[in-house]
Amino acid sequence: MTKSIDTSIYAAVSEAIRAEAQRILSDGTVTAIVGYAAARRKGSAQPIVISSADDAAKLIFTPACVNNLAVYLTKAKKEIPKKGKVGIVVKGCDLKALSGLMGESQLKREDLYLIGVPCAGVLASTVQPATELTSDSIAPKCTECDAQLPGGCDFVPPQAPLTPGQTRKYAAEIARLEALTPAERWAYWKEQFSKCIKCYACRQVCPFCFCEQCLCDRNKPQMVDTTPRPAGNTAWHIVRAMHLAGRCAGCAECERVCPMDIPLNLLNRKMAKELKELYDYEAGFEVNDKGPLNSYTEKDDQSFIK
Amino acid sequence: MQKFISEQNLHTLLDKLIAEGTRVVAPRMNAGTPLYEPLKSASEMVADQLPRRSGKEAFFPLCEDIMTYEKEGQKVTLKDIDPARFPETVLVGVRPCDAAAIPVLDAVFSWDYKDEFFLERRKKTTIVGLACTSADDACFCTAVGLSPSETRGSDLFLTPLEDGGYACESYSEKGEALIKGHLELFAEPGNSRAVSLAQPQTEKFDLKKVKAWLDEHFEDSSWDSIATRCVGCGACAFVCPVCHCFDIVDEGTEKSGKRRKNWDACGFWKFTHHASGHNPRDQQPKRYRNRIMHKFKYYEDKFGQTLCTGCGRCIRLCPVGIDIAQIVEEISKK
Repeated sequence: MTKSIDTSIYAAVSEAIRAEAQRILSDGTVTAIVGYAAARRKGSAQPIVISSADDAAKLIFTPACVNNLAVYLTKAKKEIPKKGKVGIVVKGCDLKALSGLMGESQLKREDLYLIGVPCAGVLASTVQPATELTSDSIAPKCTECDAQLPGGCDFVPPQAPLTPGQTRKYAAEIARLEALTPAERWAYWKEQFSKCIKCYACRQVCPFCFCEQCLCDRNKPQMVDTTPRPAGNTAWHIVRAMHLAGRCAGCAECERVCPMDIPLNLLNRKMAKELKELYDYEAGFEVNDKGPLNSYTEKDDQSFIK
Repeated sequence: MQKFISEQNLHTLLDKLIAEGTRVVAPRMNAGTPLYEPLKSASEMVADQLPRRSGKEAFFPLCEDIMTYEKEGQKVTLKDIDPARFPETVLVGVRPCDAAAIPVLDAVFSWDYKDEFFLERRKKTTIVGLACTSADDACFCTAVGLSPSETRGSDLFLTPLEDGGYACESYSEKGEALIKGHLELFAEPGNSRAVSLAQPQTEKFDLKKVKAWLDEHFEDSSWDSIATRCVGCGACAFVCPVCHCFDIVDEGTEKSGKRRKNWDACGFWKFTHHASGHNPRDQQPKRYRNRIMHKFKYYEDKFGQTLCTGCGRCIRLCPVGIDIAQIVEEISKK
């Protein structure tokens, strides 16, 4: 049954973001702010970088504010000015990615001014931007969200999001896939990967894909076939899932942007589930210097040594 | 030639073609995503959704082999792919924005170099267009001079009728041949009216004015404000009906392998990255500028055509909401 989701706080949240942005740009706390602005299509939003207090009025927060803006602060995106502190509008899921990037020495907390968003959810990529937010139109990641109120930010509007209990869409799909035989599972992924066109949208929006030269772009030697064919497609998505294990914070941007609807976040959620079971690790708001796969403790599972 | 064909007879026609060995390509669902793909049966066709990728790949595939090599001892054998082996194809249910793209592509693929892969497929393919009945606010075919009933590029054009079936009109010898070869499946045109077609809401662009501005503003601060947000993927180019850049790679082992042609995209940082390490388009806004320039200036300069059919795919699928219709409209008002 479709349940509507209350997003009435977003108007007040937008107001609060604008006022804070105006203040911190005017008093010089930050040199620029990465946030969301309305775009042409009805109900749509797009990322914007503002550096003048006059532009603070452009900032919004709506169910169409789907992007994880953390990507604009990574090495892959050198165009964003880095002189002085930069403000950024973050949902809880985005903040987890920023915390991960701080842990990996890609960003320093003192260089950022975090404007947290109390978030009741954003829209799935499959619906038009003007769609009302409901349990059907909500992004799958939001059905499993434990981070509606980002912690440790410099500013968070006072409104509290209300969301009804929801069916955890990834957990359900992972359970379905786990129940299949390996051959059936392979057939499922083979079909999904066959749609990949190697547009690399998944990589380009991923905050953790910050390598200045991706292994998959190298051709001396060629590590992964670059053509959009079964071997190269499968290699690419598996390499990426493994590289993100223990790092991915679940923003699901890869899946949202895939023009071919490949459910990429399922791979990442499955890896996160394994990490939870093996190392009791989950991506959160705290900054950890070492992720579970680059640290060792005696409590680690040793059962594979035979 | 004007005719009528019922939904059922259209399916019969397609099944007959498939049985005769003709490759029939039409919108079908692939793991939940509508794509133009070869049909095994006419019942697979889904006419009510705009395929996620355009129809260009029936002529210019996402990836194709162009040569093979084999090495045995000191002997190296190179073999060209023979385009004569490409099958006769009927491309059906093509949206006007996708059909109109094909004559636009003819210009570049038959210019100074004749691309026999494209041209041979083109020669062997009959395009059956389908009038468009639904538009969203990313659609802007009307802004670039096309429309939901545009027949350009179609050999045969179908318009859905209120009482079911399609009005069917041929626009080329190929289209006429398709009717004449299966005359028993077509009837004389009746009195049924066409269903109401899509109505994209965008105003017509003044493309002359757009080009005039582009002619003078290769360097302009607006490129930064337009495209700083671009994250450098290839989604826009890969779903575009007229983007046609490609890359060539060799894949295989020391003993054997293939030379392959893949789609490329000007959004990629590697796009014009020289072997020296220099890149004339070293920042994302410069790469995005190339996208706009190529579509609304360079292609006009070279071939007198606009390299955009207003399908809106790049708008719907841009990860960061870059809206080419808005950008071009703003340029036209400068």
